[in-house]
Amino acid sequence: MKNTNFSAEHLKWRKKRKIRLIVVQSLRVGLLLFFLLFWELSTRLGWADPFLVSSPSRIAATIGSLYAEGTLFYHIGVTLLETAIGFLAAVALGYAIALLLWWSDMLRRILEPYIVVLNALPKIAMGPLIIIWCGTGSKAIVFMTILVGIIVVIMHMLSAFLETDANKLLLLRSMGASKLQILTKLVIPSSRAAFISMLKVAVGMSWIGSIMGEYIVSRAGLGYLIVYGGQVFKLDLVMTATVILCALAAGMYFLVVLLEKILVKNTKN
Amino acid sequence: MKEKILKFENVKLIYHTVRGETVATENLSFSVEEGEFVAMIGPSGCGKSTLLSLAAGLLAPSEGSVERRGSVGYMLQRDELFPWRTIEKNIQLPLEIEKKLTPEAKKEARELAEKYGLKDFLGSYPSELSGGMRQRAALIRTLAMRPDILLLDEPFSALDYQTRLNVTQDVAGIIRREKKTALLITHDISEAISLADRVIVLTDRPARVAHTHTLDFEETDPLKRRENRQFSAWFELLWKELNV
Ligand SMILES: Nc1ncnc2c1ncn2[C@@H]1O[C@H](COP(=O)(O)OP(=O)(O)OP(=O)(O)O)[C@@H](O)[C@H]1O
Ligand SMILES: [Mg+2]
Repeated sequence: MKNTNFSAEHLKWRKKRKIRLIVVQSLRVGLLLFFLLFWELSTRLGWADPFLVSSPSRIAATIGSLYAEGTLFYHIGVTLLETAIGFLAAVALGYAIALLLWWSDMLRRILEPYIVVLNALPKIAMGPLIIIWCGTGSKAIVFMTILVGIIVVIMHMLSAFLETDANKLLLLRSMGASKLQILTKLVIPSSRAAFISMLKVAVGMSWIGSIMGEYIVSRAGLGYLIVYGGQVFKLDLVMTATVILCALAAGMYFLVVLLEKILVKNTKN
Repeated sequence: MKEKILKFENVKLIYHTVRGETVATENLSFSVEEGEFVAMIGPSGCGKSTLLSLAAGLLAPSEGSVERRGSVGYMLQRDELFPWRTIEKNIQLPLEIEKKLTPEAKKEARELAEKYGLKDFLGSYPSELSGGMRQRAALIRTLAMRPDILLLDEPFSALDYQTRLNVTQDVAGIIRREKKTALLITHDISEAISLADRVIVLTDRPARVAHTHTLDFEETDPLKRRENRQFSAWFELLWKELNV
């Protein structure tokens, strides 16, 4: 039913849409460029102290020198790995626990208050405990990342599982479906949109977790660079690490969006 | 005498909630014979859907007994097709559930779909079909499991009037042709008259049988029935019985 023989009005509509798209895109990029330019100029012209706010050129120089020292990709790699492992573990474990809680009504009722409390607990309070349990290496940071992410995953997925359409449940049960069949044929597929939105939230959470972890324990990684830079008052280093973090977080987010596109294409809701 | 497919005897069902208990049906007795098309009408909230859940064995009666011979096919107000499955996969769902998805069963299901005009839509997703087509697909899905009795819970009420007449015509034709036993719940009196061999009128909650009527039309075609002179007489009678 695809028609490529468009009316003049439709062509006009398409053109308008395209123009608007281009305008939005270029304004997006323009905003960033303007911001960078303003930042650079204000430090050059003496409106702001580059020692306090750094500047794009100084950040570029810092990146260059980190690269020359050979530590740039090391720090990025450490943080990226910790975040990725923490993220995947939190999603996998959280999803499994949510399934378990959906499966057993009794278990869910028993554990509900504990989950609420764990959700409200500021995870940073666990810092000293984590150091004692896991030492001061990457293990502690991954642990922190899981801790921060997992509750969100559980709560998000559980509520999606529980919102499964009652009529569709009724229908499956009338066909004589077992609980496992209900899970695999209905509950999991119908929660796919929630799964994607959960991933988006969990990505943000795992960055919070890993950086927080690095603040507390680490000797390497971007969080470490930020803390170290702050201690020795090298704000260029702090800014540089922050900017790289922004880029990495954005990259990870886009991976999720890409996954979403693939999943949606295969399901077509 | 024909065999009874479904038999309710003095059935009582109580719903328990924190706020208290609701008696949905009490002293409910009726039966459906093989090959019969029975319509049930009753005031809204009287316990009609509950009755179907009992018939399907999804609820156990608090008192009395529900006897059923054979398997059920449930059809609901909305089509409840799974949006992430193609029409063909939707139709195969009950076979998958029963682990009977053999190549022959697949072929049979497809033939059924083709016979009733879904051939070109087998690879489409539900969102690409009109409401009427979707309801037809839902019926084919129900028939694909070869049920001994069809339980229809207001299957047309979500459709607009025009579509509804067509789909009713359509679905009734399919059910008659496949010689299925059916129990249709509706609160549309004219729908009941145009489709059924027998109409059962239920009381307000808790639902009991208030009246039973055997409709003595010669034809089974819903539109022809609507033109029949007896139609309005039946309508008037049932209307009065519903609004006592
Ligand atoms: N799961 C439940 N728990 C408690 N009460 C329920 C439950 N399901 C239904 N009821 C109550 O039982 C009564 C009958 O409900 P039922 O859905 O069978 O009525 P119905 O005749 O199908 O209504 P409608 O005309 O709206 O479709 C209603 O008063 C309803 O509130
Ligand atoms: Mg109902």
